[in-house]
Amino acid sequence: MTVELTNYVMLSAVMFFIGVVGVIVRRNPLIVLMAIELMFNAANLALVAFSRAWVNNAGHIFVFLVVTVAAAEAAIGLAIVVAVFRRAKNVDLDEVAGMHG
Amino acid sequence: MTAFYVLAILLIASAVFTVTQKSPVYSVVGLLTNFLVLAALYFTLNAEFLGIIQIVVYSGAILMLFVFVIALLSSGIGPFSEGPNRLPRVAIPAVLATLVAFGFLAFGVLHTPLAPTTPHAASLGPVGTANVFGSVADFGVALFTVQLLPFEVTAFILMVAVIGVVLLAGDASPQKTRGSHEKSALKSAGREPIVKAGR
Amino acid sequence: MNALLLALWLLPLAGALIMWALGPQLKRGAGPLGAAIVFASLACAAFLFPNASNSTGVSETLITWIPGYTFGLRLDALSLLWTLIITGVGGLIHVYSIGYMWSDRAMARFFAYLNFFVFAMLTLVLSDNVVGLLVGWGLVGLASYFLIGFWFYKPTAVAAARKAFVINVVGDVGIMFAIFALFAFTGSISYVDIFAKAGTLPVGVLIAICMGLFIGAAAKSAQVPLHTWLPDAMEGPTPVSALIHAATMVTAGVYLIARFAPLYNLSPTAQEIVALIGGITMLTGAVLGVAQWDIKRILAYSTMSQIGYMIMGVGVGAYQAGVLHFFTHAFFKAQLFLGAGIIIHALNDEQDVRKMGGLYRRMPFAFWAMLLGTLAIIGFPFFSGSYSKDAVIYGTLEHGHGLLYLAGVLTAGITAFYMFRMIFVVFFGPDRSEVPDDALAIPPAPHAAHAEDHDASHAPAWLMNVPVAILMVPTVAAGWLSIGGNASPWYQYFGTMFGTSENVAAPPLPIPELASQFIVYAIVTVGVIIAYLRYGTPEALRDSVARLRAEGLRMPVALRRAFWFDDVIALAIVRPAQALGSFIGRVIDPHVIDAGVRDVAWFAGALGFFARALQNGLVRTYALTLAIGAACFIAYFAVMGAPR
Repeated sequence: MTVELTNYVMLSAVMFFIGVVGVIVRRNPLIVLMAIELMFNAANLALVAFSRAWVNNAGHIFVFLVVTVAAAEAAIGLAIVVAVFRRAKNVDLDEVAGMHG
Repeated sequence: MTAFYVLAILLIASAVFTVTQKSPVYSVVGLLTNFLVLAALYFTLNAEFLGIIQIVVYSGAILMLFVFVIALLSSGIGPFSEGPNRLPRVAIPAVLATLVAFGFLAFGVLHTPLAPTTPHAASLGPVGTANVFGSVADFGVALFTVQLLPFEVTAFILMVAVIGVVLLAGDASPQKTRGSHEKSALKSAGREPIVKAGR
Repeated sequence: MNALLLALWLLPLAGALIMWALGPQLKRGAGPLGAAIVFASLACAAFLFPNASNSTGVSETLITWIPGYTFGLRLDALSLLWTLIITGVGGLIHVYSIGYMWSDRAMARFFAYLNFFVFAMLTLVLSDNVVGLLVGWGLVGLASYFLIGFWFYKPTAVAAARKAFVINVVGDVGIMFAIFALFAFTGSISYVDIFAKAGTLPVGVLIAICMGLFIGAAAKSAQVPLHTWLPDAMEGPTPVSALIHAATMVTAGVYLIARFAPLYNLSPTAQEIVALIGGITMLTGAVLGVAQWDIKRILAYSTMSQIGYMIMGVGVGAYQAGVLHFFTHAFFKAQLFLGAGIIIHALNDEQDVRKMGGLYRRMPFAFWAMLLGTLAIIGFPFFSGSYSKDAVIYGTLEHGHGLLYLAGVLTAGITAFYMFRMIFVVFFGPDRSEVPDDALAIPPAPHAAHAEDHDASHAPAWLMNVPVAILMVPTVAAGWLSIGGNASPWYQYFGTMFGTSENVAAPPLPIPELASQFIVYAIVTVGVIIAYLRYGTPEALRDSVARLRAEGLRMPVALRRAFWFDDVIALAIVRPAQALGSFIGRVIDPHVIDAGVRDVAWFAGALGFFARALQNGLVRTYALTLAIGAACFIAYFAVMGAPR
């Protein structure tokens, strides 16, 4: 590969941390879930880059697994959001502070 | 080389766009762009099958799911409103923590040799050729022989996900928990409960 | 098991416990009970007299705790003498107290304290080891505290009791360190072992031990500069002053030095210091006695002075002389105090001699009692005091202390002066009890009303008069035991118990004993004459009001402030101690100690406050916490390398 592996890994890291910040800062649960998808995809990018660098398609299989898990997680997450906010006044994560200790 | 940098900038820009928009619909569009750029990146990395999968599954299915949920939540209630911000200025520690982590990660990555020692059997070839590394055949062979277990596990995960979604978001309590004005609003919006398709 | 010895020691304790427990039931019965117990102890001592009156005596081991640490009792010549005085004079004073304290409602408490004191003093003198001595020492101090502050509703009494106790504690510390050193160097606390090994003690250690013991003796026996508690101790009832602060407790220091004669004999330096302090006290007490107006304070300073004689006597090595003076002093001082008590009681607690006068006609019995005591104390020929005082004074000369000899002679003259001053002012002249206070220049004094603690009955007079009458006999005759020098019963009684001091220098002037006696008689006569000229002539008696007033106003400030001992001690020790205490109470207690406890609680609360913030239920908080944790992990693994 003409582009160094390091570049892809750094790119993946940047995207991952954008996702992390998104999860913490945003209050709309849908956008939080989208940021989580960003994080998944960042991991995928790193996996594909490594897989290409080492010419080993086990990485591709793992990406396949990650995509599946991400899909399942997005589905369930959205289902939870629907369940929680179906009758709520506003769609705000700060309002679901039932775990207040 | 330039392709990489162009794609990289697009990737980061779309990610930032996704995270920073007020309206979820705009975020969805940003996310879509992100996925497409990512698929392009996969193609530059010889992972053609995964690129297609990325487009079909991620932007074709998951994003649609997001869109539908946005529609579901915003109908009959009004545009998305938010309550008071109970954790103001949380961006500062968040960004600080991520910058620290990123710094250490960069340090670790740059100081660790990332090259492999064992070569692999499959051969590299240009994208589109049959049976090269990253092609459908290569992926399929691996998936159904060597990596059969992850395949079965994915099936299981998906089944669990379906059951979970049905349980969580299905209509647990019928009409009596809904007010009459809500009912009429829902009816007028043409909205049907997800599970009771026969009504 | 020497039952008599144990009974002698423990009966007073039993009496004290009974009276403490059954006080309200006993009421006035406590008096005869207390007196009977003390006389029973006296009987025990009398029965033991034949066996005990030598240098080994009878002993009884009570407990052996660890080797070298055995507690026991020992009744030998020295302790027997003290025991007889304690129980004999003590018993008479118990009988006297029944009369004196007749109208006081707390009679049982008083006799309980008196019996407790007798027990404590017996512990002190009967111990065969230094630790028992110290225990008795402390208990006697405690009994003194109880008894001085007996009328606890009088603030002056309470302050005096506290002062006595604190000064005595200073002495206790000295004895404690001496005991530590003795045990460290001899491995034992028993007298026999210590004296056997006395020769092996290094010189410096020996001096230190002797000085430590002497600090205790000085505190208990009111030697300068630890004497300031004794005049204030007169706040207690007069029988207390008679028993404790005249006859017995204050002589504990003399007992100590006499007991440790083997140690002191080996240390001339220590003996010098002891004799010197004794001499200074003797002179200071006499000078201050001249300036007193309270009859009990006159007697208190005279006690201080006479004990100075005793200490000086045992300090120079004339042990038999010093102890003889203790013996005679016990009788005539008790006589004087009890007589003063009769006067005070009859005049309704008036103690200022300026308000007395002419009592010769009203109270002849008291007059003769006081006169006999006075003649004894000044050393009138053939009275007991003369023998003992002359023995002490000549002893200083014999052992080569010329300056102390002169001081002793001079003090005899001063003693004669102030004692006869007292006699003339109290018993002769017009009756001044009705004269207003300011005509006599008497400053107004706060009187604590304690009428509620007294009832109006009066004791039969014989209760107070008989003991005084009985005491008249030894007041006159006690000294006759020492007639005959070394062949006399007195000197034979002690035998070679005290050993001989190493510190014997030649007398500076070869004056024979008889000549020295006449010198003393001469000085005493001069003192009496001066007192007569100042207070006793017919014109002086006629103008007594004006003269006493003038004397009171013109009293030199040094005498009025008792040479500023109290003021110096207050400034140098009491005020800093009080300041330290108040500083600790104001600053350290709330800000350091309490703050420490408070801060622990605050810290727990602060921890909880911060911990609470982590659990506020907001998803974003948890996400942030996760991110920070992950960042830590990434940092760790980036630096340390991935896990293997």
